[in-house]
Amino acid sequence: MIGMLSKIVTSSPLTTMAESASTQVTCETTMKAIGRPGFILIDNNIDPDTKKYAAAKEFLYQATCLFLYAVLVVPLFKKGAFKLGKKIFKDHADDFAKFKNTDDYLRYRKYAEKPFKSDRVNNSKIDKLFNEELRKELKTKENPEMFNRIKGTIEAGNILGSVLGLAVLAPQVSHMIIHPCLRALGMEEKKAKTANKIDTKA
Amino acid sequence: MCDSLGVNNKATYPVMLIALVKGICRPTFTMMDKTEKPETKKYTALREGLTEIIAIPTYWACGELTAKLASKFKFKKELPEDVQKSLIKRASKNMMFIGVCTAALFVIPGLCSVAIKPIMDKIMPDYKPNKKQNPEDLNKTASLPVNTVNTIFARPSINNFTGRKAINSVYNTQIKTGMKVGGV
Repeated sequence: MIGMLSKIVTSSPLTTMAESASTQVTCETTMKAIGRPGFILIDNNIDPDTKKYAAAKEFLYQATCLFLYAVLVVPLFKKGAFKLGKKIFKDHADDFAKFKNTDDYLRYRKYAEKPFKSDRVNNSKIDKLFNEELRKELKTKENPEMFNRIKGTIEAGNILGSVLGLAVLAPQVSHMIIHPCLRALGMEEKKAKTANKIDTKA
Repeated sequence: MCDSLGVNNKATYPVMLIALVKGICRPTFTMMDKTEKPETKKYTALREGLTEIIAIPTYWACGELTAKLASKFKFKKELPEDVQKSLIKRASKNMMFIGVCTAALFVIPGLCSVAIKPIMDKIMPDYKPNKKQNPEDLNKTASLPVNTVNTIFARPSINNFTGRKAINSVYNTQIKTGMKVGGV
């Protein structure tokens, strides 16, 4: 049991997830979408109608955030940051030039983090995916160049996108979406009928 | 900054930053809403701000505490020391990520449901969000004469089939289509 737990805790895919701002925010928002409505529903101090309404509203808000984030923020800022970094960091222009785009760099980093002898030396996929210079880095060096400036640029872009998307854009968009959705679910009508009973801001 | 983020991008950084900006923006947007009553706006904005105020230190504390637990894990002794060190480092990152997720799923909603209501009661003791309408007011509404404009429970407007709005009078009950029976 402890051995399995250690394996999970030290697993490489989990580290890749933990190091990426977009995955962190996606997971956090998903947890919020489950946790917040859940806690509203188990709160005994609120009357049942208000609980249902508030939980549905909170869930819809978090779902809107998640959707916006996945569809708009991640692709835009992840790719945009790489392109912007290429222009801004003139001193690292050579590093940026080695990769076509964000995905190409992240693929390289994924391989660079793998164990040298078992996963890199005789890996034929590396030959297909990368150019001569990067192949040499991955296949001959135990600690290949990680190009941390590129990684940092991508992450900074992700964080900026997350903040703008979730804290500025999402509240505006959700304001437009939530009420029609609640009406479609039959909760707004209910609210109108018992307007004085349901606390819409709970 | 980019170099430091590239080397070590902690799971707590983005979530704390989002919570901070949300804590400023959400209450601001709420206060800008012109359709709500000032008291309701104030109450909602305070609640939203408080939620994020609770969230920021909770994310940090949960992340750091769970990351510290990583050193408690025991790895195989036959592994070289440098491998063990790198495993602990990796475990620390992963545990921090798990800690942040746990904070979002359980700790913050739990803390908010326990702490926010008493705090709000202290800040705005007169405002009750679950306040039901006074029964006396309802009786007053029920006793309003029919011809008086009732703004609380407004009567729906009745349309005739010609598309003209019917006059709200006692003659509304008469049949306006088909054969006219009687002298009215």
